[in-house]
Amino acid sequence: MSDKTQDQPQFDPLAVWKEWQTASLNAWAKTMSETVASEDFAQSMGQSLTNYLETSAPVREQVEKAMEQYLQQMNMPTRQEVVSIAERLTNLEMRIDDLDAKVDQVLEILKKITMNNE
Amino acid sequence: MPKPPPFPTMPPPPAESHPVDVAQALTEALYAAIDRNVQSARIIADAAAVPVGPTPREVVWALNKTKLYRYRPTQPVDPAQKKRVPLLLVYALINKPYIFDLRPGSSFIEYMVNEGFDVFLLDWGTPGLEDKNITFDDYATEYLPRAVRKMLKVAEADEFSMLGYCIGAALAVLYAALYPQAPLRNLMLLTAPLDFSRTDGSLFSTWLDQRFFDVDRMVNSLDNIPPEIIEFGAKLLKPVENFIGSYTTLYWDFADDPESVANWQAMHKWIHDGVPVSGAAFRQWVKDYIRANELIKSEHFVKGQRADLANIQANFLNVVAKYDHIVPPHQSTTIMDQVGSQDKTLDIIPAGHVGLMGGRNARYKLWPKLAAWLAERSA
Repeated sequence: MSDKTQDQPQFDPLAVWKEWQTASLNAWAKTMSETVASEDFAQSMGQSLTNYLETSAPVREQVEKAMEQYLQQMNMPTRQEVVSIAERLTNLEMRIDDLDAKVDQVLEILKKITMNNE
Repeated sequence: MPKPPPFPTMPPPPAESHPVDVAQALTEALYAAIDRNVQSARIIADAAAVPVGPTPREVVWALNKTKLYRYRPTQPVDPAQKKRVPLLLVYALINKPYIFDLRPGSSFIEYMVNEGFDVFLLDWGTPGLEDKNITFDDYATEYLPRAVRKMLKVAEADEFSMLGYCIGAALAVLYAALYPQAPLRNLMLLTAPLDFSRTDGSLFSTWLDQRFFDVDRMVNSLDNIPPEIIEFGAKLLKPVENFIGSYTTLYWDFADDPESVANWQAMHKWIHDGVPVSGAAFRQWVKDYIRANELIKSEHFVKGQRADLANIQANFLNVVAKYDHIVPPHQSTTIMDQVGSQDKTLDIIPAGHVGLMGGRNARYKLWPKLAAWLAERSA
């Protein structure tokens, strides 16, 4: 038996499995790539997204409204109020950055004047 | 819709095989498969914790969520090799910019700083709800010019180079077109999505077509676009390869090679580590840049000023990935005829969109080219 098996190529189930899986994935990859490239798919995906947003919007609005009322009753800032403060902070940061740029310009001018005087 | 393909049938064991040998082979294969499964699962589970962005750096400027980093070399650099013109890296608004700095030995930034470049990275950060009204143009006109000013001051330079990758390349082009007086000496683009006149090969253009996709409803409902949606869309471009193929590659080919595993983990982490996109920026990107295709036609106006591509006079290198399925080459190449630069080069590299910068061959294919091109123009 041993002589016979040495002559035969060894049976490797993993190699067979890998080969089969690769062939399957290649075939499916081609098909799926064609599918997602179609306008039908684009339409279907767009419609699904619209449906999700339409159906979830009333729930989301109700939750936001309830939370806002709760936070007001608890004397706590609402999300919108926190967002508003954050926006103002960003605007302030930009103003400070502008001032920083102007200070740099002034310092540059002063440096040139000093060098000319020397 | 295309018909699903017939599944290949599993070949039977050779007819002359002895049943005992077949049983033994099947048992061994089962144990090997279990080992591989456990090993692959461990690699995937550990991926989120792998360290990324190893090159030492410091924050030199910050505004809102945006930060400007300056990098330091990881090995001594000969003073004669140091380049006078600093380099600013601008990445997209989606995903995080550590694709430029994945891991030691696989980091573009590490490579460039060790080549003597003074490298700065503009990280847009993670937008919050308070940033939902930041438009695409705002990033190029409110943030980028400020970062450039600070970089020039910190680097004590009067000129700079800029490299934009993916949507970051579109931001870099918009900046260069709007500010012809800026001291931009060299402009490099990688896989730049600029021309949406052709829809062939570009699934995003089809999916985001106004016949199918209501961008206003999406932005009005979600405020900012969650990273999960962006990631899902990107993966859906090649669904089998991205949702399954990536893991089978790990399972069969990479799991036994520590270097490949480390790279796979870092890349896996980066792919799943997205950031939300400001709602206003997403809306403008879809409407003005993709649907109306305003940028490549030089028809985009910001605060009354036209972004004229002919204004771009900087030395210009446009790198295109030949096998890019996210930004097909035809979206990147047509700008060559539009820019006003005298020194302009188009380089098409046989790579994919992400592999171009983060793949195992990037350090041989792309980085030396960028460094050599830039070194010649940074003296």
